[in-house]
This record gives sequence, C-alpha cells and structure tokens, in this order.
Amino acid sequence: MATHRAVTAMSNTSNATTSAMDPIGTAVATKGTATVSGRELPERADRARMRVERHARIQHELARSDLDALVLSGTSAVTYTTGVELPGCDPARAALWRTVAVVVSGAEHPHLFIAEPAAAPPGLPPGHVHPAAPPDLRDGAARLAEAVRDLAGAHATIGLDELPHPLRRALGDMELRSASAVMGRAKVIKTVDELACIRRAQHVTEAAMLAVEPMLREPGVTQIELSATFARRVVELGAEQVGIDPIWQVMPRTAAQGPWTTHGDLAFPTPSANVELRDGDVIWVDSGIHVGGYASDFGRTWLVGPDPTPSARQQEQFERWLAVLRASLRQCRPGGSTLEVARAAEEAHRGEGRPWVSHFYLAHGVGTDSAEMPMIGTDLGERFDEGQILAPGMVLVFEPIIWDDGSAGYRAEEVVAITDDGWMPLGGGHPYYPFTVPAEMT
Amino acid sequence: MTRHTPPNVDHDPAPLRDRPPLGDPSTIDDAGLRAERRDRLFAAMSDHDLDVLVLARPAEVAFASGARQLWTAGSRPFGPASVAVAATGRVHLLSVSDFDVPPEIPHEDLYGLWWNPANLARDLASIPGLREAKRVGTTSSSPGFADLLASVAPDAREVDGSPALWEARTPKSPAEIDRITGATAIALDTLGALERGLSVGVTEAHLRAVWLSELATAGAPTPPTEAVARATGRGAVDDTAVFQRLDSTVALAEGELVALDPGAFFRGYEGGVGRTRVIGSSPSPQQADLAARVDEATEAVIERCVAGTTGVELVEAWETTGLAVPLMPLVTGVGLGMEPPVIGAALGHDSVLVDRCVLAVTGWAGSEGAGSVLRRDLVAVDGNDPRVLTAHVPTALDSMSTTVTTARPARSEGEP
Repeated sequence: MATHRAVTAMSNTSNATTSAMDPIGTAVATKGTATVSGRELPERADRARMRVERHARIQHELARSDLDALVLSGTSAVTYTTGVELPGCDPARAALWRTVAVVVSGAEHPHLFIAEPAAAPPGLPPGHVHPAAPPDLRDGAARLAEAVRDLAGAHATIGLDELPHPLRRALGDMELRSASAVMGRAKVIKTVDELACIRRAQHVTEAAMLAVEPMLREPGVTQIELSATFARRVVELGAEQVGIDPIWQVMPRTAAQGPWTTHGDLAFPTPSANVELRDGDVIWVDSGIHVGGYASDFGRTWLVGPDPTPSARQQEQFERWLAVLRASLRQCRPGGSTLEVARAAEEAHRGEGRPWVSHFYLAHGVGTDSAEMPMIGTDLGERFDEGQILAPGMVLVFEPIIWDDGSAGYRAEEVVAITDDGWMPLGGGHPYYPFTVPAEMT
Repeated sequence: MTRHTPPNVDHDPAPLRDRPPLGDPSTIDDAGLRAERRDRLFAAMSDHDLDVLVLARPAEVAFASGARQLWTAGSRPFGPASVAVAATGRVHLLSVSDFDVPPEIPHEDLYGLWWNPANLARDLASIPGLREAKRVGTTSSSPGFADLLASVAPDAREVDGSPALWEARTPKSPAEIDRITGATAIALDTLGALERGLSVGVTEAHLRAVWLSELATAGAPTPPTEAVARATGRGAVDDTAVFQRLDSTVALAEGELVALDPGAFFRGYEGGVGRTRVIGSSPSPQQADLAARVDEATEAVIERCVAGTTGVELVEAWETTGLAVPLMPLVTGVGLGMEPPVIGAALGHDSVLVDRCVLAVTGWAGSEGAGSVLRRDLVAVDGNDPRVLTAHVPTALDSMSTTVTTARPARSEGEP
C-alpha cells in the first residue's frame, strides 16, 4: 500500500533505544502521498484552521439535526467545539468546576463559559467568552440557562451531553435531547490538523517511553517509578496533559491467576501502585497523553530483567500479534466495512476466536476522547460493525491481544488514520523491543 | 471461577523512600472507613427517601464502594457506574474485575463494561431491588437516562440524588481528615521540590514536569490538577483566576513572583497548599506588602470558616480588607477531590458551611509592578473552630517549605 510505512524493529539493545531519544521532528513526516480528502498532514497542526474546520463540521451536523443548539459540559466535547485547552485535572474537579460550550445552529462562532478569559482560544470574538457558569451549581446553572435562552431562543430544542439536575431545573420546559448523534458524526472524521495533533501526541508518548523501558533492566523497579519518569518526560517533551494513570500491568501466566472477572476473560487494565517488578515479568503497557486536546494511545509488551530476550514462545506470540495487526490493516480502506476488518483479524488468529478481550474491541478511534468511534468488535455486534464504513479521516487504534493460557501473551497498540487510498501510521515506528520483527515480516 | 483475590494481596509494596505517615497512598481504604462511609450513604438515602441511588462520578463510586479504579483526566460521561439499593443495603459496582474491589462487594454485585445499552440494561435489571424501586436518585443525568431507567425500573421516578450524596460526603470523619492530611504532606513535599527548582530561566512547564514526577515518586501519581505553577508577571496584572490556563515555556525572570499550588491524593482524598515565591533575590517592599495584604484577607476568610457561615459572609470577609474578590473560587470543599460548596465573587453566596467539612481557602491579589500573590490553605471546620491544616507552611515570599516537613515519620528512628 502506497501509504504504508513499515513499522520496523530497532536494533536489539537498550542503547539503541536511548540513542533514538529524539524522534520528534525528525521522524514525524510520513513519506509518500498520504492524503486525507486530498490534503497532506501538516508537520504541525494549524490550530486556528482546526477550530474553523471543526466548527464547520459541527454546524453541518447541527443543520441536519432537529437541534437548535448544543450545550456541552464534558471536557472532551468542550475542547472539540471551542478549541479551549484545559489543564489535565481530576474528574471530580472537572465535573464540578466545569467549562461549558454553547453552539448555536447557524452561528459563526461557539460560546465559551470559562473562569479565566485568558484561557479562551484566540479567534473567539468579543461577546463569545462568558464568565464561568458551572451547571452543577445552582447559580451557575441559572446563569447558563439564561444565556442559552438568550442565545438560542426560549423555545429552542437543545442537545446536551450531560444534564446535571440544577441545569435541568433551570432550563425549565425547554426541549432537551441528546447531543451524541451530532457530536459523534462530527468527531468521527478528523481534519488533517486533528490528525497532526494525534500524531504529535503519539510521538511525544513514544519518545517518553524510550526513557522508561530501559528502567526494566533492573528488577525491583516499581510501577510508580516508571510513572514518575514517564510523567516528567512527556511534559518536558510538550504534552499538555497526562490523560491516564499509566498502566504497567504484570500479566499472570494464566487468566485464572489474575483477578476474577465478570466474564472469565482477562482482567485488563488494572491500575498501577507501589508494586515491584521482578525478573522475567511480562508487562503490558498502556498509556496516553494529550496534545492540542488530542489523545495518544500507547501499548507495548515489555519484559523485565537484565537480559529481556523473549523465549521462543513469547517471540512466537509477538509474531502472531503482528500477523493479526497486518491482516486487519490490509482491510483498512475507504468504503470497507469494519466487519471485514474484524473478520480478517479473526482469520489471522487461526481459528482461536477473537483476538481481543471481550469487554473491549479489536480497535477504537481516538480524538479528544481517548476512546471514541469507530469501535470494531464490541458487544454492539456484527451488524453494527457491518454498517460502519471506513472513510478518510477516521482514526483506528488497533489493540489485538494474543493469549496462551499458561504462557501469558502479547499485546501492543498501533494508531493509524484512514487515508484517501488506504491508511497511514500516526505512530513514529516505535520499537517492539525486546521482540524482533522477523526478516520475512519486514 | 470462585476464587476471590483480597484487595492488594498480589501487591508487593516496595519501600517508598519517603513514605507518608499513613502508609502507601495508592491502596484502597481500610475496612473501618469503608463501613462508616457506607453507613453514612444509606442513612442519607433514608433521610431523602431514596430507594436507589445511581452514582456516576469516580469520587462518588469510591465513596460508596471503596474500590480503587483507573484514573483518567477530565470529566467522564454520566452513566450508572455504581448502584446503591436501600432495600438490600448492597452497593453494586461497574467493574469487569475484582482487582482492588473491597471484599464486602462480592462478585455477584459486580457488573460488566458494555458498549451496547441493551447489555447494560440486562445487567442492571438483575440487581435485586432495582425493579421495585419508586424513587431513584441520580447524582447527575443525561437526556437518554430516563429511557434506560424505565427499562430496568418501570415504576421509578428519577429524582435529584445529589442532596443525599452531599449530606453523606460533606462532614468528614477523623479518618477522612487523616487522609486529607496525608495528601497534604505529599503536596508539601512536592512544594519543596518546586521551590528547589525555582531559578531564573526555568519555565512553568518544567516546574509541572518536576511536580508530576515528585508526585509519582511519592506513590501518588494522579494529580488534582496539572495547573500547578504560574509565573505572575510584573506588569499589567490580570487580577483574575489564573489556574485554568495551560503553562507556558516562557522563562522565569529575576524578581518575578511565581504562584505554586501543588495538590496530591492519598487513597482518593485530596490535600494541597498554595504559596507564592520570588525568583532569585528577596522580594521588593511592594511585593512583600502585597503578600501581607493577601495574608490578611485570606486569614479574614479563614476566621469565618465555622459551621453556619454563609457564602456571602465569606465573600464579605475578604472584601472588608479592601482587596477585590478574585474570579477563581475563594472557598471550595475538599474531600474525595474538589467538592461543594464553591464560593466566589458570583457563586455560592447562599451556601452554608456544614460542621466537619474541609475547605480550601484561596486568596489572590495582584498589583502593578509587583506581580500577583496566591495563597491557599486547607481548613477543617470544627464547630466554631477553624482548624488550619496548612498553618505550618510559611507564607513569606522568600521562604522555603522543606524545613517544615513535620508530617513524616521520624527518620532517625533505628538509625545510628
């Protein structure tokens, strides 16, 4: 495929991984003719253009809907609709001291309700940046409802992502519907600037991970020590948020040795703690950060010890994982259905069932949410997957799992964007170290 | 599978180099505290005549269940993450695994993660007592929730469950205040690291990197907010909230004031302290005067942090000192993260302080040519006695906090 830049393993030493500490800026650009709707991804996102094009997408979907306006208070939705980039914070704070977006159908700009006007993105004209009106507080909700009536009309039909009780009371008898269809249809297709943000977030994450993985050469290192190094590096490299407490899960040899689960399948992910890692431990890594409001999603399997050379069984698990990934990617093209992608993954798994945990998916999208549509292989079922058609600008994070009960397994993630004629990686070719891509698979 | 992994039994805690006095910050709470919180929750549900309370926020779920769940930044969509049923006294939890789920929540009370609402509804429908419920409280809601509720509890009416939730959560037990103090000790350690990192040429982003790393090293990697260090400038002062803005890569300059507002979590509970320091040399007389005025105004508010005080009285306490009320909240609740009340220039004036709540009091003022000064203290309301949990942290602009780290266990014990 023209846009396919092969993901190659780096040389099998930790020195090589540390010497590759600075892939940002040098390994960013995808060579070739990777285009999305006829445009190449910019080296760096044009944030102003991104805001304008996102607003156009929202307005397009609003016009197709029966909604007159959106009132949005979820962090990811506010970021998407207004471009405001807020500091990462605990969900309790984010859900109480909310920044709110109001988007009126047909209007040229969104409205932002925020505590600090200086945090508003440039380009919002006067009159569009309002004092904070947190909808979970009675007086905040009253202020917001008054503004909504003023901006959208007292009899408008409003789409919301969340409806705190004070806001419900303050909106009175206005017609309230879900914003999810409008938001979902707008968000699922990324502009080239959004893709550039995701790519940048992915590269920052990968660069930081190059500083973390060598820490596993010394057994006794703890999960939180890995988290400390990771957090420091991502911020130094330009991340705006650590999106998730990084996961460094020690995998058991059998599912039954791990935590009990509701479905009998693997427990993943489990949160990190002050847990020492031992020589020979198999570690499943999963983490993400935000750049420009856009999430990354990093996954790898690592081995603990001074000599992390995989066993023959472990290397073979990795090769099966790679085969599943590649079979899935071969089905990634505009117009293809996501059911074809799921079936290709299952076939490459050689009749051993679906190569992913049953509460998740083979792949999910990423954007201002760390997991969003399209999702492939969920409990929404095959008819849903069949009706979900890939289009240029969609993003897929593939995270298949190979599991041999008794010998643990392999899991990693790769992020790709659907292009005009196939797909392109949004990662920077991060090594699979200590696993090696066999010569016949490169 | 019937095996039940006791909480943290598979954890092999490493010796934390600077372990806070209460132990490891990233484990689930002890059984006594969990039982007490559960009692408070069901008592409040009874007071408010709720048959069922549907909980969504991670902090609510932690309060009701004691489970430690994966932390993510930002708000999460509303959904039934936990369901407390009055008739059975059981707390049901959305959790695929029993990892860090306390033993009082048996496997049959866990339900799975679904993307298909029909599957979620099927799991919820099997919760004993839900189908018969008449009054179902929710702590927030969404436009689609009524349909889901009707499918699992056909006779139920959805009501605002947040008054019951806050009745249970707002007054803190001594064990909860211990955890807030533990979190504050971690935050204070990170304040020391931030102070040591202050020098000409350093950026806000670098300070945030230092702080996140220190937090994780202390065993408490998840931040209350990443807005932790703010250079306040010397010129035209933006006398408004400053901690909603992302940090910059502009280098700190000699004589500039830097507001440091580190927080931390200890087993889900938030602690923190805010202080302002000067870069390099001693503060100018004008800067020292500004800091003194912020001290005076902040302490005027703290003095009024007693049970029964209203929000407007707190705002007036600040205003009587002659300083403008900042746009950021003057007083907020603190517990399992940020909590009500939220009191400020235009918010929460009719809030009434509840006995045994814990508050964060934040003072902020700027002046042309000096920069701006932030001060944040934690106050435990105890009847008529505001107990300042951060009183030992110096406010002088050129002080260092490392020498006041008294909350640690005595390091000299057992040492030669």
